[in-house]
Amino acid sequence: MSETMSTSRPDTADVAERGNPSKVIDRIGATILAIIAICTILLLSVPSLIVIAISFTETAYIGFPPQGFTFKWYADLFARDQIIDAAVTSLQISAATTCLSLALAIPAAYGLVRGRFFGRGFASALIVAPQMLPGMVIGVATLFFGAYIAFRQSNLMVILALTVFCLPFAVRMVMARLTQLDPALEEASLSMGASKTRTFFEITARQLVGAIIAGGAFVAIEAFDNLTVALFTASPRSRPLSVELYNLVQFDSSPMVAALSSLEILAAFVVMIVLAKAVGLDRLRT
Amino acid sequence: MAASLVDKVMKGGGFWPAAPAFLYLVVFFIMPMAVLLAFGFVPIQRGTVQSANFTLEYLFDVLSDDLFWRVWWRSFYVGVLSTFFCFLFAYPLAYIHTLVGRRLQMVILILTVAPLLTSALVRTYAWLVILGGRRGVVNAVLMDLGLVSRPLRMLYSDFAVIVGMVQIHLPFMILPLITVLSSRDRKLEQASLGLGASRVRTFFRIVLPMSMPGIIAGTTIVFALSYTNFIIPQLLGGGGYTTVAVQVYEFIVVILDWNKGAILALLLLVSCFLFVLMITLAGNRMMRWTEAKV
Repeated sequence: MSETMSTSRPDTADVAERGNPSKVIDRIGATILAIIAICTILLLSVPSLIVIAISFTETAYIGFPPQGFTFKWYADLFARDQIIDAAVTSLQISAATTCLSLALAIPAAYGLVRGRFFGRGFASALIVAPQMLPGMVIGVATLFFGAYIAFRQSNLMVILALTVFCLPFAVRMVMARLTQLDPALEEASLSMGASKTRTFFEITARQLVGAIIAGGAFVAIEAFDNLTVALFTASPRSRPLSVELYNLVQFDSSPMVAALSSLEILAAFVVMIVLAKAVGLDRLRT
Repeated sequence: MAASLVDKVMKGGGFWPAAPAFLYLVVFFIMPMAVLLAFGFVPIQRGTVQSANFTLEYLFDVLSDDLFWRVWWRSFYVGVLSTFFCFLFAYPLAYIHTLVGRRLQMVILILTVAPLLTSALVRTYAWLVILGGRRGVVNAVLMDLGLVSRPLRMLYSDFAVIVGMVQIHLPFMILPLITVLSSRDRKLEQASLGLGASRVRTFFRIVLPMSMPGIIAGTTIVFALSYTNFIIPQLLGGGGYTTVAVQVYEFIVVILDWNKGAILALLLLVSCFLFVLMITLAGNRMMRWTEAKV
């Protein structure tokens, strides 16, 4: 790639006559960069806006541009027991997965960062390993394991598999925060006469709250939205919302699907604003 | 006694805090993975092991099938093209993120992170709406402008699948690039510009090579995600469109041939790891090569 620029040699003589040709190339380069960046911004935002726009159409089919304005499809959505039940199932799965993941992740992160023990490298590698696997593989493996020990697809199976899938996120977020902590704060607390217990709860634990909230929120959202694990582990009788939506997308062409999608987009946006206000957006980058 | 316990807790408490998570993963991760491995090599009927005879029959069945290789080739080029275009769209935005003011930086970051919080399914659905049929967004606009007289057939093709994958995986490419680019040492660029190199040349010779760790991270993640995704090919590729990941789903959920499903899942996983390893090694070599040149 460096060959493309080989016309202008970095000789010192160039500095003096640095003028037109490289200026023109620079301007073209900057323009191309800006155009692509604008395209990317549009790519990131426009598809969601189109789905939201279409959810208000009065026509019975999905078409662009949307015609008229109605909340009919949202009303339809809330009138369907199947969808309400699926949403409740998903909320339960999400809550249980979040609690279980955090209960396992917080002490694990603490032990892995502060503890010195034989096999620590192996333990931390194992705990972040599931993140490198596609959700499908974890879903399939859990389904097979369940069949092997005669344990059927159920909400519990979804929760157990999703916890494996989500644990690395939670552990890594708490670990990242723990390694950033300034040991001087704990030393100061101890040297000023606070007991070790008090130092732990008031200095160490308190500084982890932001990371725990951010990690918990990420797990909750992933567990609510997840399809690749749930598709293999959920029972056909009580389907989570993601699996229900997957079937709707394939077999239902009414704008109701757009309404359901719009609600998910809206919820995600609200969660992100709340998180950004509560813990800062930079924290979400891990 | 109590004091020594607190002492231990402050120091991390040895292995014990990590023990529950460790145990959990042994039972619900290692053991299922072992069963998955076993199901590829031991006859299975209706989810129960028929006999404990180890056989390579399923592996050879799959590998000797021409259809498998055609399907695998599609998985591969869809993964490669998605990763390439994802990089092409992501890099300029990540680079510009490091040049603009704080407020605009925040906007870019929000636009990048927000899609991660909505499900990939919703974002795939958006592409069904945009590319689909005669009333799809693209066709509606093109026909209104009089550019085409008949709706173009865009959905259910390689094009639709790759467009969907590129857009859906963009954040996974942008975020590692932003991380690397915003922590880069700008003195080298200033030196390059000061010595008379053009901005374009500085970009290709200094900025791009310096961001290699982010490029490796982004491309490996996006390739692995695209290569193993089965939702996007199913929805945007249509009924007859299969990749290896789609076949895993079909063998396990629809056809209920778990032996073949398990073997395909294992092949998908192993080949994915090999490709990720190859990208990482190639990236590291390029990094050393550019360092030598600089």
